[in-house]
Amino acid sequence: MTMRKQETSLSAEEGARLMAAVAGERNRSAFAKLFDYYAPRLKSFMMRSGMTSPVAEDLAQETMLLVWKKASYFDPLRAGVSTWIFTIARNVRIDRLRREGRPSAADSLDPSDEPEEPASAEASIMAAERDERVRAAIAMLPGEQAEILRMAYFGDKAQSEIARDLGIPLGTVKSRTRLALNRLRAILDDLV
Amino acid sequence: MIKHHPSDETLLRYASGTLEAGPRVVVAIHVGDCTACAARVADFEALGGAFLDDLPAEKLGDGAFDALMSRIDADAASRAIPAQPRRLSRAEVGIRLPEALDDCEVGPWRWIGPGVRRSRVTLADDPKANVMLLKVAAGRRLPEHTHSGFEYTQVLKGSFRDARGHYEPGDMDEADSEVDHQPVVDETGECICIAAVEGGIRLRGFFGRMFQPLFSA
Repeated sequence: MTMRKQETSLSAEEGARLMAAVAGERNRSAFAKLFDYYAPRLKSFMMRSGMTSPVAEDLAQETMLLVWKKASYFDPLRAGVSTWIFTIARNVRIDRLRREGRPSAADSLDPSDEPEEPASAEASIMAAERDERVRAAIAMLPGEQAEILRMAYFGDKAQSEIARDLGIPLGTVKSRTRLALNRLRAILDDLV
Repeated sequence: MIKHHPSDETLLRYASGTLEAGPRVVVAIHVGDCTACAARVADFEALGGAFLDDLPAEKLGDGAFDALMSRIDADAASRAIPAQPRRLSRAEVGIRLPEALDDCEVGPWRWIGPGVRRSRVTLADDPKANVMLLKVAAGRRLPEHTHSGFEYTQVLKGSFRDARGHYEPGDMDEADSEVDHQPVVDETGECICIAAVEGGIRLRGFFGRMFQPLFSA
C-alpha cells in the first residue's frame, strides 16, 4: 500500500501536461499526481454538497475513475483541468442524487457524456482566457458575495446552512445570490 | 436573434448541477442554441473549477489510490459490455426535436383544450419530471395563469406574445410565480414549445387545472 501525500497546488499548465500524459500514454504516475491533488478536493466538494464522508469518498473515486476513462476527451483549448473535472464531479453528483431518489433508475445513461465538438480557433483563445478572467472576477468580489456564490454550487442544503450560519432566512440567501451574480456579471463584462 | 434568455441564477444552477431535471433539459435546449448563454455557462463552469481548486483537501482513506487503480485494472480486464440500445417510444410530433431530447420518450399529441395539444416528455434520468411539448393553434389565447414554482418555456416553432414581450424560436420564457401571463399565439401559425415546471407535484394554477389529470393518468 502506497502512502499518498496531498498536493497543495497544481498549475493549469502542469495539470494539462499531466492530463496529456494520462490520455496519450495512460501514464499512471501522472494520474497519481492528478489524484493526489483532485481527489481530496472532490471529497470536500461532495461533503459540502451534503454527502457523508464515505459516500463523498466513493464519489470522489467515481469522478477520478471517469477522469481516467475520459482523459482523451479533455481538450485544454476548451477548458482548464479544474473546470473539466468540476463538470465531471457535478454530473457524478447529479447521478447519485437521482439514484438516491429512485433506486431502480436506468443506469445506462452516462451523465458525463456530453456532446464534444471540436473547439474553434476563437473558442480556444476564449477558453484560455476564461479561467483567468473568472478567477480575477471572483477575487474582486466582496468576501461575503464570493462565499454566497460558492455555496450556490453545493445546492440547497448548503444554502440552508449558510442561512442558518448568517442567521438570515433562505429567501435572503437567494436574493443575496442574485445581487452577487449581478456584481459578478458587471465585473466579468468589464474584464472582456 | 434570441431576445429572451434564462436568468443568470438559472444558468448558474444549470452550470452547477443544482437545477431540477425537467428545467435542466429545457435550459439545455436554450443553451444549445444560444451562444451568449453558452458562454455564460462556460464562465460558471470555470467558476466551479476555481472553487474546486480553493476547497480544502479532505483526507482520503488509506489506500484510496491503490483501490482505484485496482478498479481500473479490473475494468480493463473485463470486456466492456456494450450498453443495451434503449428502446424509446417516440411519437411523430411534426418537428425535429433538439438533441437534448435524444434520451427522452416523447408521447403522442393529446387534445387538452380548444386548439391546445400536449405531448408528455419522459426523461431517461428522471421519469417523474414534468416536461411537455405544447402545441397551440395560431391566434389561440391560453388561459390566464399563475404557477407555484418557476416555469421554463422554450419556443421551438412559431411564436407567441404576452404582456412581457414577443417570443420566437430560441427564446426562453422564464416565469416565476409572480408572473400572471396570458400568452397569445401569433396568427402566422401554430406554436410549439417545450415547457417544464419546477417541483414534481406542485401543480396548481394553469398547469394544475389543465394538466394535472393528464400527468396523473
